[in-house]
Amino acid sequence: MSTGSGQGRFSNVTAQDVVGGLLLLGIAVLILDLIRLVVTGGLPLGRLWAYVWNGIVDSLYIGLAAIGLSMTYSILRFANFSHGDLVTTGAFSGWTAAYLVGGLGVAELSSRLLLRADGGAQPGSVGMDVLSAPLAIVVGLIVAAIITIGVALAIDRLVYKRLRDAGGIPLLIASVGVALALRYLIAFFYTTETRGVVASAPQPEAPGFLPMETINLHEATLVISALTLILGIHLLLQYTKLGKSMRAMSDNKDLALITGIPTERVIFATWVIGSGLAGVAGYLIVLDRGQITINLGWFLLLLIFAAVILGGIGSIYGALAGSLVIGLTINLSLVWIPADMNEIAAFTLMILVLIFKPDGLFGGVETA
Amino acid sequence: MALLEVADLDAGYGDLQILEGVDLIVDDGEYVTIVGPNGAGKSTVMKSIFGLTAYMGGAVEFDDEGIHGYRPEDIIRTGIGYVPQNDNVFPSLSVKENLEMGAYILDEVPEDRMRRIYDRFPILEERKSQKAGTMSGGQQQMLAMGRALMLEPDLLMLDEPSAGLAPDLVDDMFDRIDEINDDGTAILLVEQNAKEALRRCDRGYVLVQGQNRYEDSGDALLADDQVRQDFLGG
Repeated sequence: MSTGSGQGRFSNVTAQDVVGGLLLLGIAVLILDLIRLVVTGGLPLGRLWAYVWNGIVDSLYIGLAAIGLSMTYSILRFANFSHGDLVTTGAFSGWTAAYLVGGLGVAELSSRLLLRADGGAQPGSVGMDVLSAPLAIVVGLIVAAIITIGVALAIDRLVYKRLRDAGGIPLLIASVGVALALRYLIAFFYTTETRGVVASAPQPEAPGFLPMETINLHEATLVISALTLILGIHLLLQYTKLGKSMRAMSDNKDLALITGIPTERVIFATWVIGSGLAGVAGYLIVLDRGQITINLGWFLLLLIFAAVILGGIGSIYGALAGSLVIGLTINLSLVWIPADMNEIAAFTLMILVLIFKPDGLFGGVETA
Repeated sequence: MALLEVADLDAGYGDLQILEGVDLIVDDGEYVTIVGPNGAGKSTVMKSIFGLTAYMGGAVEFDDEGIHGYRPEDIIRTGIGYVPQNDNVFPSLSVKENLEMGAYILDEVPEDRMRRIYDRFPILEERKSQKAGTMSGGQQQMLAMGRALMLEPDLLMLDEPSAGLAPDLVDDMFDRIDEINDDGTAILLVEQNAKEALRRCDRGYVLVQGQNRYEDSGDALLADDQVRQDFLGG
């Protein structure tokens, strides 16, 4: 057989290399075009900065949710499609708590309890912003985490625990069912109406060293909360016994079992942390966007999955890096394409990267 | 007195029975090896002692305590350490973290024991911050043993520790097992490398099709013509 020598000098070039090369070339062209736009004044620096900043903000809440999805994937070994609706659960439960506390004596109990399903309790009149009602906002954040954790643990007990050894596919399908049940349970109480629940964000003047003129305090709250939580997760995973045992179990569940690691307790911790972060993410998204809707988490889920897959599924640090890529992509793509199509850019990028590197950007360097 | 006593054990996976009436005894500080052809159920014996197979009958006693039905974390507490054949380290954890996981059931990581393991396997101390998955097969095997030794078990079960090692490392591996045994830890060893294992051990069992076939001192099994012809390649 002499076919090997007959294929010429390109015989080692695979389809992956071609896609990878084109991808890098495409990115290079876009960067050059970006420079051209900035230099020629077609894209004011202020707007570019706004895109980058929005990308970072988006990547932080996507990242918060992606940590949980990545954890449940690596430790429970299934793609949890109900994760997006845990985000929604956090949003509704947290803001209900915020209204119950913040609207005390200002608005009807029923309007507050059902988050303005009746159109009462205007966010402005309740004073629902971080300066007017800081206590209510903080209580809402904590309740968002607690209720979401409770719901996730209850679902695990009712559904996933019974399917623990059934394999990834039955669990995945069950999680789609759970997602729908959860979403419409929320809709049953809160209606499917999209509505504003947060007053417009206070925007004090920014100190000189920042590149923007004013600071959106709600965005700042999101950024600081998310960064704090991400740092906390990092410290937990690297330096605590629980964190190390979680990484051990995500490496090899059978070995964890015979090493004496109580696997059910690690699974419990996984749900607590993953769903707690998802709930907080949902709450913070509403704080930033001002509006709440039952499709909040469901629509976000695709982006979360894209981030997790892009980073190399099962790696938490990969998921965070993937979130940054997705967040920046959907915002920077606005330079070239209209806003209602920007998610196309994120998914196109994801597909191209996966053809180029099927294990994700960080595949093979599993970190947790 | 018997440290480990397996009596008339039936076990398997799902509905498939692998072990049929297996008897096995390991005394305090003894070095026992199980040899036999592929698929004889050698590894299954270890997994069954650890409660990782479907139990179908018989008894497993350790230190006069029936341990059948115990969770793995409780079996570890009774004093059995187990090093499975494949995937026996946590690849993304550092060497040190792997050893720490070995002591998971203790409230605190016993630094003195970690010290002794580093003394026994100096390469582990050299590479303590390195990710286990980046080490060679032989080093991973040492790490896996070190992890199991963190609890200073009375019995250490090793499933084919020489599998996949370069020939010059195999002898070294057997020497290290001898050292661990000399320090008073009883050894239960499953090996493909049957001749060497029988040469080193106190007693051996030949397992065939999930049943005890022969049982004697290692030297006697090596000298037995029938055993040599059927299982040791003449």
